Amino acid sequence: MTALTDTIALGRTREATARKGPSRNLDTLFRASAYGAALLVLLVLAGILGSILYGGWPAFREFGFGFLTSSAWNVGTEQYGALVAVMGTVASAFLALLIGVPVSLGIAVFLTQLCPGWARKPVAMTIELLAAVPSIIYGMWGLFVFAPLFARFVQIPVSNLVEGMPIVGTLFYARVPSGVGVLTAGIILAIMIVPFIASIARDMLDQIPTVLRESAYGIGCTTWEVVRHVLVPQAAVSIIGAIMLGLGRALGETMAVTFVVGNANRLSASIFDPSSTIASRIANEFNEADGLQLNALMALGCILFVITFVVLIIARLLTRRVQAA
Amino acid sequence: MDASNTIAATAQRRPGRLRRGRRVADRILRVGCTGATLVGALVLGSILLMLIIQGVRGFTPTMFTSPTPGPGSEGGGIANAILGSLVLTGIGIVVATPVGVMAGTFLAEYGRGSKLAALIRFLNDILLSAPSILIGLFVYTLMVRPMGTYSGWAGGVALAIIAVPVIVRTTEDMLRLVPGTLREAGAALGAPPSKVIMSVTWRAASAGIVTGIILALARIAGETAPLLFTALNNNSWFSADLMGGVANLPVMIYQFALSPYPNWQGLAWAGALLITATILALSIIARLVIKPQISR
Amino acid sequence: MNAASAIPTVDLSRNRADEAGPVRIAVKGLNFYYGSFHGLKDVDIDFHDRQVTALIGPSGCGKSTLLRCFNRIYSLYPEQRAEGEILLDGRNILDPSIDLNELRSRIGMVFQKPTPFPMSIYDNVAFGLRLYEKLPKAELDVRVEESLRKAALWDEVKDKLRQAGTGLSGGQQQRLCIARTVAQRPEVILFDEPTSALDPISTGRIEELIEQLRDEFTIVIVTHNMQQAARISQFTAFMYLGQLIEFGPTNRMFMNPTERRTQDYITGRFG
Repeated sequence: MTALTDTIALGRTREATARKGPSRNLDTLFRASAYGAALLVLLVLAGILGSILYGGWPAFREFGFGFLTSSAWNVGTEQYGALVAVMGTVASAFLALLIGVPVSLGIAVFLTQLCPGWARKPVAMTIELLAAVPSIIYGMWGLFVFAPLFARFVQIPVSNLVEGMPIVGTLFYARVPSGVGVLTAGIILAIMIVPFIASIARDMLDQIPTVLRESAYGIGCTTWEVVRHVLVPQAAVSIIGAIMLGLGRALGETMAVTFVVGNANRLSASIFDPSSTIASRIANEFNEADGLQLNALMALGCILFVITFVVLIIARLLTRRVQAA
Repeated sequence: MDASNTIAATAQRRPGRLRRGRRVADRILRVGCTGATLVGALVLGSILLMLIIQGVRGFTPTMFTSPTPGPGSEGGGIANAILGSLVLTGIGIVVATPVGVMAGTFLAEYGRGSKLAALIRFLNDILLSAPSILIGLFVYTLMVRPMGTYSGWAGGVALAIIAVPVIVRTTEDMLRLVPGTLREAGAALGAPPSKVIMSVTWRAASAGIVTGIILALARIAGETAPLLFTALNNNSWFSADLMGGVANLPVMIYQFALSPYPNWQGLAWAGALLITATILALSIIARLVIKPQISR
Repeated sequence: MNAASAIPTVDLSRNRADEAGPVRIAVKGLNFYYGSFHGLKDVDIDFHDRQVTALIGPSGCGKSTLLRCFNRIYSLYPEQRAEGEILLDGRNILDPSIDLNELRSRIGMVFQKPTPFPMSIYDNVAFGLRLYEKLPKAELDVRVEESLRKAALWDEVKDKLRQAGTGLSGGQQQRLCIARTVAQRPEVILFDEPTSALDPISTGRIEELIEQLRDEFTIVIVTHNMQQAARISQFTAFMYLGQLIEFGPTNRMFMNPTERRTQDYITGRFG
């Protein structure tokens, strides 16, 4: 590759010395604009961080470290804290992984190991199209189709069952079984991240040499043993990267969550209860907010930025290292 | 399983070798994986079914000709939102395409082996999955606040920022697939790099680059969160003035779907069907375009 | 126990095929299809107990295909199918009711490229054992050591059994795969061009190893290297375009082939 760039560079210097004219200026201009466009990507990322830091600064100054630990969110008294939204974000994303990861891996294994050849393409296409459906449509599906069913067939029976029991009676009890809440948000997020994780995991499993798979079958392994002991460990690093990528998406997802999380500022131990995530709160309140509330929302944005970018950086490092190897 | 018993019997030294637990685990894997895939297909089917049933019910004769109606009133359509969405995505893609293609070209053609290019590539990949709501906050601070008003321009820019990383990534990937000999051949003719890139490399990778642009289009067409704080919405007819709130489908769907008015809800469903059908069609087209590129 | 002493020195007089033992695998009227492509045509061949049989022939002649029938590894691919009979100790292994996992634990296979699993050296060997036998830890250790010794790898890895199998050199990896196969105590071991990815020194060690393994196992080896076939096998089968052209004791096949095509191939006129 270096040799190639050298060849081009060589061509350029020769061109520059031998003939001077409009083409040389064009060349410089072209190169400069490509460079500029690439720098713009850097600039945008810096701009995002800068703008929310700038916007959120007054809130951080006002509440200090307490912003992170306070569960208050009161427009009247101008008391704001991030705890509920952060907890909601983390809880819903965690539930999304808990549900979404096994399903994604199941789909990836099905596509690479079990699926008959003729069905592979249409099935893969179906799963990939799930990734293209806009977030707001997932929100509508979650609120109008899934939530009523969830309330009727899960929340109400489970709440009745566990009422009064220790621990599970708190964790799985719905005070108002409306179908929306942290768990519903987690399930919808799981559905949204499944296509991403599944398609990366499928690519990684596909890259494993056939002969490794054959030699595992060759010593008498069942499909489960081949998958569990050979294929998944072999692709482990990149699969973890894919999962982190899914986590990054789940943490920052806005519209779908805003529909189904319930948007309550309440710290509840029950995953059936409505709550808020950072993104849903910003989406809900930003347009009507001003003054300190606006700053507090921006500060929430800063927290979201930090959480998601750490997750995404880890994800990209994990997936990248494998590609290079 | 009498067959395995017979085999086991011939191999006297290891009777009853395939333990029941292994068989059960294997069965569970097969059923579980097939089930997971079925659930995925079922969810997509259920979403499409919901959109078709509710969307068709929400279709009105005046949908494509009238602007959105006021709260609680009857009739009306979503013509202004459709037009607004076209304009906003149009601005987004028109701004994003040159930036994305040029940046992708830099990474693939000029930036090989450079540390800066590696950093930009890495950050671009991160921007690719960054929460879109943060981009909304950025553009709000950058444009809406200084200008003092929500505007179509701001919405377009927010969408462009989402589209750029998609285009950068696909452009770079596709340019990297172009064989080096092609570039060498161009350079050997004495063509300067810019000429080689524009008339040889780009052309060779054109189908892939177009795919990237279509994918970016599909990505931004349904984006809602970044438009909430930038273009917002507008219930009146679209005016040529992009300085002010501009109606658009995603925000319209969001507001109308959660409203208490049946007429609004119907229009939201119709809009949802329209936008999902468009995006799925774009995604399928992108896959069809990319195919000949890969087989080549 | 000292497993090394259990391996007797190679008795070269046994390298003669006329003292061949009973038939272990009998192939009768075997046809193989890759979709519509007819890969093996009416193959009949017998493999003798505790002998090395080499399958030779130009690429695409069906020698690997034949090998892949014996543990039915081809059935991972739905478009591939075999017809006819392959009798292992008198029982047809192409019978659909045969338990494939069980069959494959009785017929081991070593592939063209080394395929260490993503686990430690110890676990690579113990993995196959654990699938079929529940052994106490101490006994497992013994079996792992015994297998590594049989694969002539013990001395090189005994101090790093917990390290990843992928960290070994190519030749060591291939011997690890042989140890993994041997550990299961199969009746037959299939080798699919086991040295084609290795350097000459590693190749020599693997060949010696195959020579030793013959005392315990029935061995079928696919090779594109005729010297190798001549060096290590008692029987040789020459295949061409999906057909078995000639089969017989290796000495006779190389010294005095009856078929013209065999002679042409062996003398290097095509292939």
